[in-house]
Amino acid sequence: MVELLIAVGVLCLINTGLAALLMVADATLGNYGECKVTINDKRTVVVSGGRSLLAALKDEQIFIPSACGGRGSCGLCKVTVLEGAGEPLPTEAPWLTPEERQAGVRLACQVKVKRDLRVRIPEELFSVRQYRARVSALVDLTHDIKQVTLKLENPPEISFVAGQFIQFEVPPYALTDEPVYRAYSISSDPADTGEIELEIRLVPNGICTTYVHRHLKVGDLVTFNGPYGDFRLQPGGREMICIAGGSGMAPIKSILLEMERTRDPRPCRYFFGARSKRDLFLVERMRAIERALPNFRFIPSLSAPAPEDRWEGETGMITEVVGRHVGDASQAEAYLCGSPRMIEACVEVLRAKGMPESRIFYDKFA
Amino acid sequence: MQPLGFFAILFAAVFTNNILLTNYLGMCSFLGCSRELKTSAGLGAAVVFVTATTSVLNWAVYAYVLAPLGLDYLRFIVFIVVIAAFTQLVEMIIERVSEALYQSLGLFLPLIAVNCAILGASLFLVIRNYTFWHACGYGIGSGVGWALAILAMAGIRQRLQQRARVPRGLEGPGIALVIAGTMALAFMGFNGMVSLN
Amino acid sequence: MKQSAKDDAIQEQMRPGVITRDGLLGRDPRKLRDILDADDAAVRRLGLTHAGIAARLRELRDAGARGLGQAVTVEGRFDVRVDSARGGLPCPFLHEGLYAKEFVEVHNLRTGERLVYSELSMHLIEAHGFYEGEGSPFRLEPAALARVLELVPQDA
Repeated sequence: MVELLIAVGVLCLINTGLAALLMVADATLGNYGECKVTINDKRTVVVSGGRSLLAALKDEQIFIPSACGGRGSCGLCKVTVLEGAGEPLPTEAPWLTPEERQAGVRLACQVKVKRDLRVRIPEELFSVRQYRARVSALVDLTHDIKQVTLKLENPPEISFVAGQFIQFEVPPYALTDEPVYRAYSISSDPADTGEIELEIRLVPNGICTTYVHRHLKVGDLVTFNGPYGDFRLQPGGREMICIAGGSGMAPIKSILLEMERTRDPRPCRYFFGARSKRDLFLVERMRAIERALPNFRFIPSLSAPAPEDRWEGETGMITEVVGRHVGDASQAEAYLCGSPRMIEACVEVLRAKGMPESRIFYDKFA
Repeated sequence: MQPLGFFAILFAAVFTNNILLTNYLGMCSFLGCSRELKTSAGLGAAVVFVTATTSVLNWAVYAYVLAPLGLDYLRFIVFIVVIAAFTQLVEMIIERVSEALYQSLGLFLPLIAVNCAILGASLFLVIRNYTFWHACGYGIGSGVGWALAILAMAGIRQRLQQRARVPRGLEGPGIALVIAGTMALAFMGFNGMVSLN
Repeated sequence: MKQSAKDDAIQEQMRPGVITRDGLLGRDPRKLRDILDADDAAVRRLGLTHAGIAARLRELRDAGARGLGQAVTVEGRFDVRVDSARGGLPCPFLHEGLYAKEFVEVHNLRTGERLVYSELSMHLIEAHGFYEGEGSPFRLEPAALARVLELVPQDA
């Protein structure tokens, strides 16, 4: 009997002893306490240690761009860590040039906050905010493009430059368990500060586009952050050549709406390429802008019009149409939005017409 | 009773009484993770470290707690608890000290906690009544022996992938066990050199 | 069979909603390593290599890309359409790089069979020998690939 008690007693003692040891270890080793992160030497935030710099800053409403959700796969979250980080991890190595390593550039998603840090981030990220908004309208522009209008609730206003994009948060739904972010250009006028409009095209097996096309309803609350991006109208009054089809119209539309409102007299042609008539949309809106801006022309073209379309407008690949309409482009500038291949093909055509590459602007697909 | 020295035991644990090829312990992670040299090297290194330290720890627990109190039948439970707690602790320490080391080694640690070769090494120490230095030698040796076996297996499997046409029925675990058996036969050749009862 | 923690982490990436809506594993209950081994053996039995298959897929994609979103007839026996969407997808195998969301649809005019694949799927085949799990809508069965792309075995 005594033997049994001793046996049980010893076992319990060993087990509780080890468990206590692990708890202490977790509390000391696993707990990094609170760490101060000083940003650009002007703002200091206090975060709880143990998390990635990307996540810690996001909680403090500072949004470093990321396309891969913090896995170290996209290389977009580069920040300069001046003090306080350890050695770069193997996952960061492919993204950093030797000069960047020297300068202390790191991937924010791979840096773990273990002690006080001093970091430097691009200034424009300070004006990126997270917004809560309500879906106020969902309109089918074509069989696979939906126009989503979001009325801002908190904060109630957004300030952006026409041509910029936002990162839309897709909450967990159906089979997914974590939120995912996707970038969409804003297609509404910047003067409408209380709402934004997006054009979202359904992508095969796409997480966000399936959510928007099949699950999102008017009245739903959504989250997004922004604005991001350098794509915008350049000052100087040069002639503009815009080329964008499908949902690529979004940033161009935002720029055109602003020009319509300000009665911008710049000569501008917008080439919209589509396959057949069912891929055309907002043609009437574009015609309205033509009436408001005497120097604006909207030129839609179909590469494969169906016989029932009875199409009498331009036909052929968009590159051919641009080639036919544009003469000497050496004094003009171009705004392109579309797939890398389309952009490459159009750049070729424009350069052949004398446009210097420095004046060809495109919304790079992230 | 203990005619063998530290180095003899070390040698024997690696070659003639290889815990994996002779005693067939630690097979599941061996079969599952031995496809690539890089993963196997990481796993092997982690096993060497854990086996060496837990053998010594368990030796101490046995010698100073279980044996004096006549509780040697508790060794199965106590040893596994010590191993599990130890690997947890080490994982936490590595994570704190070096993120890079944690990424390469730390992820293997939870897998190792249930590796029966490690428990086996501790139990053999007891059965064979090893002293402290013998326990050290045996612990390090078993770990190294296991690591050697998994590295050899990974090398062989990588080559097999490139050149051989494995019959459909033998793909995966089938051919892996055949290879393990052949390796065991090869290691039997060391038998005459040293023997640990 | 057991697989390493790294393979577990990779398999996690392939679940629905992480990279794509339906994930990359379909209804396949097997561990990733077992899927990779089985497909590797299947490819070798067909007398092909992962690199060879990926190269052919790229060839057709490059030819079809001229269409800028419209179908193009390639080699007189395939209709290829290449389309794309904004953004990039990371590889589930946890290494650097974002893969463009470019989708290729190949229609074999002789047999009538169709295939859909993406920039990411070509990378998965070439670099990792991964053809997606059974039941995945985008699974590229090695035997089906050989048929549709009319691939001939290379000499061993």
